[in-house]
Amino acid sequence: MESYGAMPTIRSSFELTAAALAGLLLVAGCARKGGCTGDYCGTLVIATAGEPDILLPAVSDRAITRDVTEQVFLKLADLGPSGNTIGDEDFQPLLAERWEWDTPTTLVFHLDPRARWQDGRAVTAADVAFTYDIYTDSLVGSPFRPNLRQIAAVTTRDSLTVVFRFRQRYPEMFYDAVYHMRIVPSHLLREVPRSQWRTAAFGRAPVGDGPYRFVAWRAGESLELAADSTFFLGRPHVRRLIWRFTPDQQVAVTQLVAGDADAVEVLITPDNVQRAGADTQLATYPYRGGAYGSLVFNLAAPGDTATPHPLFGDRELRRAVVMTVDRAALLHNVFGDMAKVPPGPMSRLFWIWDPEIRELPHDSARAARTLTRLAWTDSDGDGIRDRDGHPLAFRLLVPTTSAVRRQYARLLQEQFRTMGIDVQLDEVDFSVFNERARAGRFDALINIWNTDPTPSSSIPQSWTRAGFGRSNYGRYEDPAFERLVDRAVTSVGGRDEAKRTWRAAIEILNQDAPAIFLFATENVAAVHKRVADVRIRPDSWLALVRTWRIPADRLTDRDRVER
Amino acid sequence: MAAWLVRRLAASIAIVWAVVTLTFIIIHLAHGSPFLPEQGQDIDPATLDRLRHDWGLDRPLPDQYALYLRNLARGDLGLSFALHRPVAAALAEALPNTFTLAFTALILDFAFGLALGVYQAARERRFGDIALGNVALFVNSMPTFWLGLVLLLVFAQRLGWFPVGGPRDPVLCPRVDSLACVADFAWHLTLPALTLGLVGAAGTARFQRAAMLEVVRQDFVRTARAKGLRERRVLLVHALRNALLPLITLFGLTFPFLLTGAVLVEWVFAWPGMGRLAVTAILQRDYPIVTAAALVASLMVVLGNLLADALYGVADPRIRVRAT
Repeated sequence: MESYGAMPTIRSSFELTAAALAGLLLVAGCARKGGCTGDYCGTLVIATAGEPDILLPAVSDRAITRDVTEQVFLKLADLGPSGNTIGDEDFQPLLAERWEWDTPTTLVFHLDPRARWQDGRAVTAADVAFTYDIYTDSLVGSPFRPNLRQIAAVTTRDSLTVVFRFRQRYPEMFYDAVYHMRIVPSHLLREVPRSQWRTAAFGRAPVGDGPYRFVAWRAGESLELAADSTFFLGRPHVRRLIWRFTPDQQVAVTQLVAGDADAVEVLITPDNVQRAGADTQLATYPYRGGAYGSLVFNLAAPGDTATPHPLFGDRELRRAVVMTVDRAALLHNVFGDMAKVPPGPMSRLFWIWDPEIRELPHDSARAARTLTRLAWTDSDGDGIRDRDGHPLAFRLLVPTTSAVRRQYARLLQEQFRTMGIDVQLDEVDFSVFNERARAGRFDALINIWNTDPTPSSSIPQSWTRAGFGRSNYGRYEDPAFERLVDRAVTSVGGRDEAKRTWRAAIEILNQDAPAIFLFATENVAAVHKRVADVRIRPDSWLALVRTWRIPADRLTDRDRVER
Repeated sequence: MAAWLVRRLAASIAIVWAVVTLTFIIIHLAHGSPFLPEQGQDIDPATLDRLRHDWGLDRPLPDQYALYLRNLARGDLGLSFALHRPVAAALAEALPNTFTLAFTALILDFAFGLALGVYQAARERRFGDIALGNVALFVNSMPTFWLGLVLLLVFAQRLGWFPVGGPRDPVLCPRVDSLACVADFAWHLTLPALTLGLVGAAGTARFQRAAMLEVVRQDFVRTARAKGLRERRVLLVHALRNALLPLITLFGLTFPFLLTGAVLVEWVFAWPGMGRLAVTAILQRDYPIVTAAALVASLMVVLGNLLADALYGVADPRIRVRAT
C-alpha cells in the first residue's frame, strides 16, 4: 500500500496552538492591577453551592439568599455572640438604637436616626410597619409568616418609633420581633402588587440599608456587593464581597483550594478539612452547626394516616430498633470529628443541648431480647427475623442528592442486618423525597433539619401535631410531650426553668423512639489567611463579615484592583 | 427548492412541537413538586397551595398545556418558579454561554478531527496512523464528564494552569471589556471546550480517515498525481474536498451531541449555560425552564440538520440539483 508522506501542517498547527495558549496565559495574567491602598480595600470571594432565587428577604428562606440579603437589609436588632434567644439582654442594636417594654406585651423600638436607604431616603417606622405587613400577608406567602403569629400588630408612633404588640407574654417575644424580619423600603416596594412579590424586579437589583450595596448579579455565575462607605454603623473594611456560584459544595471547596476563592461556609468532609489544613494560605474556623439528621419512623401506614404502621406503630419495636444502632460508630465513619451524636431532636445551635438528657442506649443484647419477646425470631434460618410469615423488613427513603444520607443508609442497613432486620433502600431525587415525606409515603426516611437558633419553632413544627402535613413526617404525637413543649415555649420563669422543661420533654420523646437521632453537625469554615478578625456567628456565618478586614500589608493585587 | 424548504420547515416545526409536548407531559407527570423548600426547611401547606394556585398548577393538565401553547404562540415562555423571573430572561443569559462553549468545541472538534483524519490517511498503517488511531479510540471511549474531571484535576487543580471553573475571574474581569478580559474568558473556556471538543475530535478523525482512504483510491486522485501535482495539493485540494461529504452528515449529528454533552461539562466546570440551568430546573421541578430548554435544544438540533442539508448542496452540486 502506498503512502502519501507526512503533513507538515500538523506539526506547525500544534506549535501555533501551544504558542496561542502561552500567549493566552500571559495576557490573562496581565489583568489590570489596581491602586486601592489602606484599610478599606480588599475583596472577599466566597465560593458557594447554589444561588439566591430572589434578593427579597420576605419571600425566600434559602441559606444563600440569607447570606446575601443579610449584608443589604438590616434587622431591628440581632442575636449577640452568646446566641441567647430568651429575653432581650443579649441582642445587639442594628436599625433600632434602643428599645423598651411599655407593657409586658408591648415592645417599643426607637430607630437610629442616622439610618438611610441606599438611595438617600431615611429609614422610618413606616418601613418597619410595612415590612411586618408584607411578612404576614398571605398573598405574599412569606415562609417566615408562621414565626410572626404571636405578634398582633405593628404600628408607628412617630417617624422613628415603632410599636410591636404581642398576643401573649412568652420568653422569646423579642427574638420573634427582630430575628425573622429584614426591614425593606416601603417607598420602593409599596406599588408592587402583593401577589407579584415573588417576581418583583426589585429582587434582582435591591436597594437596602445595610453595610453593602448591590452591584451586579450574573446568573449562574456570581453576585457582587460593594461596601457602603456611608453605612451609619461603620464602614465595612472589606470593600467588595463576591459570591461565586458552583453546582455543589465540593466544587466550591475545590475552587477555594485552587485559589479561585477566599472563603467557604463549610468544608463538609474530614478530607476537605485536611486539604484546607494543609494549605498554608487557608485558616479554618470551627463553629456549631445548625443541622441535625435522623432516621424517622413512619408511625402511620404509608399513605394512610388513619392506620398505624404495621411495624413502627409498635412503640416497643421502635425502641428495639433504636437500641440496635451504634450511633457513635456511624458518626465516626461518616463525619469523623465534624459532628456529634445529638441527645434528641436538636442541632448544636440549641441552647438546650445537654449530653445528660436521658436516651435509649445502644444495647444490641437488649434489642435482641425485645424483638424475641415480640415474637420476631428467625424461624426459617435465612438471617432475617420474621413473625407470622412476615419478615422484619422495611424500606428506607433517602435522597440521591445527599452523600451523607446515602452513606448513613448503607451503614444502617448493615447494622440492622446483623440484628436480623432487612432494610431496602429507596434512593430518589430530592423533589420526590420531599413529596413522599410530606405525603407520608414511606416506612422510614433519613432527614436533615436546618434549625433556627431556638428549639421553640423547629421542635413543635417537626415533632408535635402542629407539624402534621408539614415537617412532622412520621406523625409522632404524645400529649405529655406536647404539654411540656408548650410549657417550655410559653413559660416566663426564666432560662433555667425553660431548660428543665425542655429536658423533660425531650426525654419523653426519646423514650417513645419516633426516630433515631444520628448526627448534629459541627461546621468548619475556611477563609484565606490574609483576612483578619474573622468571627463567625454559628446561626449565620457571614452575619459579622462587615467587621472582617484585610490589613493593608496583606493586600494582594486582586484586593487593590479598581474598576 | 422552495417546496423542499417548505417541507423541511414543516417537518422541523412538527418535530419541535412533539419534543415540547412530550417534555411538558413528562415533566408534569413526574413525581416531585415545585415550590417544596430546600433541604431541612419547612413550608406552610397553605402557602404551598396558594403558590400552586397562583402558578396555575391546580388546573387540569390539558388546560395548563393549552395555556402554555397559547403563551408560546405569543412568544411568552412564562415565569420560572425557582428563579422568580421570566424564562426568556434566564435563557437569554444562559444561551450565549452555551453557544460559545459549543461552537468553540465544534471548531476544536472539526479542526483536530480533520487534521488527524487526513494525517492518519496519509500515514495509513504506519506507526503514526496506528498510534493516533488507538489514542483517538481511547479518547472517543471516554465519557465526557470523566474526561472533564481528569482535565480539571490535572490542569487546574494539580498544575494550576487553568481555573477550576466559571467563565471569568469575577474580581479582575466582571465584564469582558478589555483584551486582558477577552484572554481571561478564553482561558476559562479552554478546559470545558477541550473536554467537549476532544471527544468529538476523536470520532471525527476516525470518520475523516475512512473517508479520505476511500477517496484517495479513486481515479481522479490518480490523475492528479499523474499530472505531477505536489502530494500536499493532491490531498488537501483534490481528495479532501471530496472526502468532506460524509463529514457534513457528521456535522448535523455533532450539534445535538455538543448540546447534550454541554450539560455535563457545564456542571463539571461550573459553566453558567443552558445545561446547568436545565439540570437545576429538573431537580427543582421548574417546569417552564425545563420545557423551554427542551424547546431550545430541539430547535438547535433541527437547525443543525437543516444547515447540514444546505451544506450538502454547497459541497455536492448533484444534491443541489436533486433538491430542486
